[in-house]
Amino acid sequence: MSLALLRRGGVYVFLSVATFLSVFPFYWMAVGSTNQSPDIVRGKLGFGSNLLVNFQHLMTQVDLPRVFGNSFLIAVVSTVLTLVISSLAGYGFEMFRSRIRERIFQLLLLLLSIPFAALMVPLFVMISRAQLNNTFTAVILPGIASIFIVFYFRQATKAFPRELRDAARVDGLKEWQIFLFVYMPTMRSTYAAATIIIFMNAWNNYLWPLIVLQTPDNKTITLVISTLTAAYTPDYGVILLATVLATAPTLVIFFVLQRQFVQGMLGAVK
Amino acid sequence: MTSLSLKGVRKSYGNLPVIKGVDLTVESREFVVFVGPSGCGKSTLLRMIAGLESITAGDLEIGGKRMNDVDPSKRGIAMVFQSYALYPHMTVRENMGFALRFAGKPKDEIARQVNEAARILELGPLLDRLPAQLSGGQRQRVAIGRAIVRHPDVFLFDEPLSNLDAKLRVHMRIEIARLHRELQATIIYVTHDQLEAMTLADRIVVLREGEVAQVGTPLQLYDDPDNLFVAGFIGSPKMNFLAGEVVEAGAGSATVALVNHGGARLAKPLSGPLPETGDAVTIGIRPEHFGEAGASTDLSLAVDVAEHLGSTTFVYANAGGERLIIEREERHMGDSDTIAVSIPIEAALLFDAAGKRLR
Amino acid sequence: MAQTRLDRSEQINGWAFVMPALVLLGLFMIYPIIWSLWMSFQVGRGANFSFGGLANIQRLANDALLIKALTNTTIFFFIQVPIMIVLALLLAVALNDPTLKFRGLFRTALFLPCVTSLIAYSSLFKSMFSTDGIINQALLTLHVIGSPIPWLTDPFWSRVVIITAITWRWTGYNMIFYLAALQNVDKSIYEAARIDGIPAWARFTRITIPMLKPVILFTTILSTIGTLQLFDEVNNITQGGPGNATLTLSMYIYNLTFRMMPSFGYSATVSWVIVVIVAILSFIQFMIARDRRRAT
Repeated sequence: MSLALLRRGGVYVFLSVATFLSVFPFYWMAVGSTNQSPDIVRGKLGFGSNLLVNFQHLMTQVDLPRVFGNSFLIAVVSTVLTLVISSLAGYGFEMFRSRIRERIFQLLLLLLSIPFAALMVPLFVMISRAQLNNTFTAVILPGIASIFIVFYFRQATKAFPRELRDAARVDGLKEWQIFLFVYMPTMRSTYAAATIIIFMNAWNNYLWPLIVLQTPDNKTITLVISTLTAAYTPDYGVILLATVLATAPTLVIFFVLQRQFVQGMLGAVK
Repeated sequence: MTSLSLKGVRKSYGNLPVIKGVDLTVESREFVVFVGPSGCGKSTLLRMIAGLESITAGDLEIGGKRMNDVDPSKRGIAMVFQSYALYPHMTVRENMGFALRFAGKPKDEIARQVNEAARILELGPLLDRLPAQLSGGQRQRVAIGRAIVRHPDVFLFDEPLSNLDAKLRVHMRIEIARLHRELQATIIYVTHDQLEAMTLADRIVVLREGEVAQVGTPLQLYDDPDNLFVAGFIGSPKMNFLAGEVVEAGAGSATVALVNHGGARLAKPLSGPLPETGDAVTIGIRPEHFGEAGASTDLSLAVDVAEHLGSTTFVYANAGGERLIIEREERHMGDSDTIAVSIPIEAALLFDAAGKRLR
Repeated sequence: MAQTRLDRSEQINGWAFVMPALVLLGLFMIYPIIWSLWMSFQVGRGANFSFGGLANIQRLANDALLIKALTNTTIFFFIQVPIMIVLALLLAVALNDPTLKFRGLFRTALFLPCVTSLIAYSSLFKSMFSTDGIINQALLTLHVIGSPIPWLTDPFWSRVVIITAITWRWTGYNMIFYLAALQNVDKSIYEAARIDGIPAWARFTRITIPMLKPVILFTTILSTIGTLQLFDEVNNITQGGPGNATLTLSMYIYNLTFRMMPSFGYSATVSWVIVVIVAILSFIQFMIARDRRRAT
């Protein structure tokens, strides 16, 4: 009996330590945004009074609203376009089976393992030639056909009742109407989960925007943080404040939509 | 083999009592069935015996030893689960031998036990298959095999046939009965199906809302139920219940007027305590016990539907809103709109307003 | 007649729905990768290039930086991935207990790191691991170390920082996958094992882990791809240093293309190195899983 109790206690200790380690950096981030850089680097744990100063410094170094707007615009457009194109494809692969398309789908799964590093050079050359350097279009376009999201929608469509489509056909709807008026409303939670994944990915994206976007006016929040961090003497108060601002939207989405978040990840497990 | 006993066993989840005091002795080699409707606590009771649920109060003894706090693996029990609970990544052979490997038995001993169990259950050709490659009935047999190799003192079955289709259920019922005889094992079996209980059990424990409604042999429960609940639960089709009112009680008998049948009366001899005049009572009579009209208590009923099953006919009739089922061997019963039957006094069972049997 | 008309409309619709995605994929994935293959045979700088045969591949063999990057990536892979997977498994098993208090709280907290952008948490870690920073202070106070560790200026310790950072960021992610798989397991299997007398550690190693094999394989492959693509963290915390101790393949390609005089041909060649490695590793992992299943 006491061995079981000891084990129980051990589990709680293990989980508590892991939780503390997971959550501490967030606390650090919040605290740091209110302190001066030297204090942060020296490990000050408490809240300071430097929040406004940091904010002012941040605003002078970076056009904050602009940068936020850029990130937001890119994320929203990416999300909408990716959802449309990838859900169409996922639905198409699942509902209209043919041997050729199955082969193509399998090929797509293989392509999933191609690392972005292998693509970034040719993609860069391509957009340079198309004179799309430094544009949002170049940032958004390569990502909207996301194999992962196509796969995700295909999996989710397996749970979509065929009878709904048959009934709609009998009612005289055309295929695109069935997709728009029957499928999309039914699959709302799938779209919600996918939205979260895509939005977060686009919001947090670093490497490709780094390659494409050159002028400070066009930069996204992640690029800005990176630039601030790479300074010769980084001002951590400013950096951590920027980090808080950059992380806040995703944190909010996470807490509000926690279930869809996890569901979204789990949907891809199969 | 050893016996098992429950003394004043109770279980509560926080403030919610689910088992409200059960006393029971199971003799060696007995086949005892726990039966009852959903939520009556039969599975909980079984799991308490297994050690998967704690016992809040009372004593559980297996083989004379108190087992309340003993680890499940050390109670001398083996359990067959409703979902079979086979290890999906192991073959049939490995599934059956897994526990023995951990008990430290030598390899040839394990092989011998597994082969013996496979022989008893006719699993020979399936020994190297994975559970996913087996049918439901085969998986069930593997689950039983896994229990057999441990040579437990008591076998526990938790609704093992619920996931099988009707035909397979009949077949497996016979298998389990055969096993009981061959292994000479003590078995505690949980089911919600009273038919399984009637056919398999040496004794049946009828449970209702955490309490024992009655314990007895199948025929005892069928012929001589202690209360309304057991009377209505055992037997298919259900016993008929007629509302009655006591018009006269005394000198070892009570005369009851059937409320929904005009002036029909029944005089039932009783040796126990008598009801009061004016008491509301229930008369129970099984469908096959109705006699021809013209005997004692006569009823005239309107026929709703007659079901002809070939060897028997079930007539669904009603009078004054009370629905009755009458079973007859004649084939053309119920072709007319009315049917007249009588209630033989010996077959009529009397229950008081609280559902308790008056004898 | 009606049958073939239906079939034809099925086909047309089928293609119509998937075409936009396929066109985009063809344009932004297939074309680049093939271009990359062609490019890897070209030598020259910037826009001036010409066919060079196998010159780039020869260059691979003599490239000290490439060897360095490969070594680093291998180190990260063999150390970080197993640690993270084991940790995630243990956490998932611990969280799978329905009688555990604060279960939701723990799960949320452990998943929280996955919400951060790679840049954000890289900055965080960079500030925490400075030589007189909070981590060193904590370790000193707990008497784990005697003098501050030069996290970011020492080749060995900088690798430790990166590995710690990645583990912090991704363990929760893998844990969720395992948790979901565990919850799909029939609980009576564990009860049967308890009754059979199987001890807890054996229930974990002989039942849980084999049953989770598909998920573990999936996450291992994902982690493999992730580790091989490592860029954001090393670029921001250590800049690939000190002395290229944390240089990764992705970062090397980036440097080749954007920081040095661009030699697109050679960059493309190195890119293909990654593709080949990922393909081989995934293949191996797949084979291991399939063989085990047959053997069982």
